[in-house]
Amino acid sequence: MKISKAIYLFFIPGLILYSIFFLFPTVSALYYSFTDWDGISADFNYVGFANYERAVTGDSIFMKSVGNNLEFMIFVAIFQTLAALIFAIILVKNTKVNYYLRALFFFPTILSSVSVAFIWAFVYDPNLGILNQLLNLLGIGFLTQNWLGNGDIAIYSLAFTQVWFHAGQMLIIFVAGLHAIPNDLYEAAKMEGASKWQLFRKITWPLLAPSATIVIAYTTIQSFQAFDLIFALTGGGPNYSTEIISTYIYTVAFRNYDFGYASGISVIFMCIIALITYIQFKVLRSNRVSY
Amino acid sequence: MKKWLAGFMFLGMLFAAACADSSSQEEQDSDDSSSASEATELSFIHWRGEDKEVFEDIIAQFEEENPDIDIKMNIYPSEQYQSNAQQLLRDGSTGDVFTSFPGSQFEAMKEAGLFTDLTNEDFVGNFSEGPISVGQADGKQLAIPYQLVFNMPVYNKGMFEELGLDVPKSWSQYQEMVDTLIENDIVPVAFPGADIGPNQTMNSMMMNNAKDEEVFQKLESGEESLTNDWWTNTLEDFQYFNENGYFQENALGTNQDSAMQMVANEEAAMLATGSYHMAALKELNPDLKLGLLPPITVPENEVEYEGIHTATFMLAINKNSEKKEEAKQFINFLSQPEIASQYANGTGQHLTVKDVEYESEELQNTAHWITDKKTRFQPRYLITEAAVEDAVLGSIENVLGDASPEDAAAEAQQIVEENIE
Repeated sequence: MKISKAIYLFFIPGLILYSIFFLFPTVSALYYSFTDWDGISADFNYVGFANYERAVTGDSIFMKSVGNNLEFMIFVAIFQTLAALIFAIILVKNTKVNYYLRALFFFPTILSSVSVAFIWAFVYDPNLGILNQLLNLLGIGFLTQNWLGNGDIAIYSLAFTQVWFHAGQMLIIFVAGLHAIPNDLYEAAKMEGASKWQLFRKITWPLLAPSATIVIAYTTIQSFQAFDLIFALTGGGPNYSTEIISTYIYTVAFRNYDFGYASGISVIFMCIIALITYIQFKVLRSNRVSY
Repeated sequence: MKKWLAGFMFLGMLFAAACADSSSQEEQDSDDSSSASEATELSFIHWRGEDKEVFEDIIAQFEEENPDIDIKMNIYPSEQYQSNAQQLLRDGSTGDVFTSFPGSQFEAMKEAGLFTDLTNEDFVGNFSEGPISVGQADGKQLAIPYQLVFNMPVYNKGMFEELGLDVPKSWSQYQEMVDTLIENDIVPVAFPGADIGPNQTMNSMMMNNAKDEEVFQKLESGEESLTNDWWTNTLEDFQYFNENGYFQENALGTNQDSAMQMVANEEAAMLATGSYHMAALKELNPDLKLGLLPPITVPENEVEYEGIHTATFMLAINKNSEKKEEAKQFINFLSQPEIASQYANGTGQHLTVKDVEYESEELQNTAHWITDKKTRFQPRYLITEAAVEDAVLGSIENVLGDASPEDAAAEAQQIVEENIE
């Protein structure tokens, strides 16, 4: 079939939008990463790779934010995926109760990050918050914590909030994936005497691999971009213990007025996300099967 | 050929629709502008959301006196204002009159050339000379601080009277006072460590440990170090307060609303923020009698400074504005004693304007801090690099999170060195 050349005209609007909103900012960030632009002045100097060198060798906060971000990402990727998968398996049948429960689990996703931060700031408040009050009420007061004020656990408190915030969204992806698995496979395996674990291990999990790939990749990217929630709940503190790369970029650009350096970190940030996502795709693709 | 034609027609329709939309928008805009063309619209931007009503009233009076000027006020959350004001001001269409924080924001705006020189304006004479010096640079008055804030703990005077406590004048007296409060199951200091506690309390905690007012300037030039006594002693004081029950439990996780609630409920005797919270505390508990009480952490003979002040909310005119004369009229209006008095009493703030009449008991009772007490300008605002400020504050959080003062100071000093040229 011959494709008319006119069809290429239909690419133009998309290409323009892509160029304006993605290509241009990306190229600009790359360009400014080689400068010492302060974000305000008209003048700036070219500094070569100095911003990259500074990030890698001379900025302990940046290295700390990378470490925090990886901790946050690993916690969220594991627990969000597990929670979404478990609830998806429990709620996979299309019953009225399950419809309701799926909607309930999905509900946090439609809230704004600031609202979520407001709710959880109240939950985590060490003196008036409901979490510590609940633990005291249950007689396990020894578990009460300064959830956001203790630098050793604050990042995990934030990661838990992130899981609560987005697990419902991933649950829907897993439910859709589960519905796509043909029932015949389960019936045939059952006739062969397969246990529930074997059904999950040999049929459900391998055939869910495409959904899992999407969930894990999306969760990873979300974890790196969890700026608003963290900014609203802790602002990166105490003492940088919840500083992640995105909050640090914001601080460098808009508080320190160092746009050139912030652009350099942004480029590194983009490479880190791309690399991790690529590795995940590779690993998860190798697990895919078809029957 | 037909498909080519169809493609062009489709694009043509899209273009026509876009043009039709934009032309109708322009028409709408021109209609709007024609109705507004009788008055000059002056943009006024700041961060004081709590002053909105008072400002609206003052603006209405100004517009009545100046029917040819309409003031459009935009208020941003202070964090957002810190970050975005410079961007807003760049093209001159927003913020003909704007406000600036002292310290790093003032420095950045000065570097960006956003201030109009106000040195020779008559209204500068309506302000007290000393406090407005913070808005000067290179011999020019670039901005005029409007508010005078005391960044030191607010205390419950009524509670002190009931317990027979005097205002301490030395570290030993301060310790005795705290012991009495603890014996009476009262938290001595409600410390909002999750947000503004460290950045407010550091000022009064260090005021007599680092008497050199240029200490942060020297830190940024590499002549001073956070590992020296002036800062490690301050961190030791924070540690002492935290470990000996001077602050409430979990101080680092407490936000300012919770801390205010503790003082309003009389669970705590002092709020480690500043005079700007007195009006809000009175709203929470109208029976409170309030005063200011900075922590005295040195022996009486070593006390040089009695408290901390900040001249802030610095009024300025955008260098890129095309309405500078109207902007000057507005600042002149704000500097009139009767208007300033209305603002001061409506918002519970002391001002830098001369001859302001304070009506509320709290403002009257604390006005003597302006004239009779030896206060120093908030040291935190003398840090010009935000990254250095963050490192300094981070070391306080680090100590409150159980790090040793020496380790916290060393860690912060490393960050300082990474960020100074």
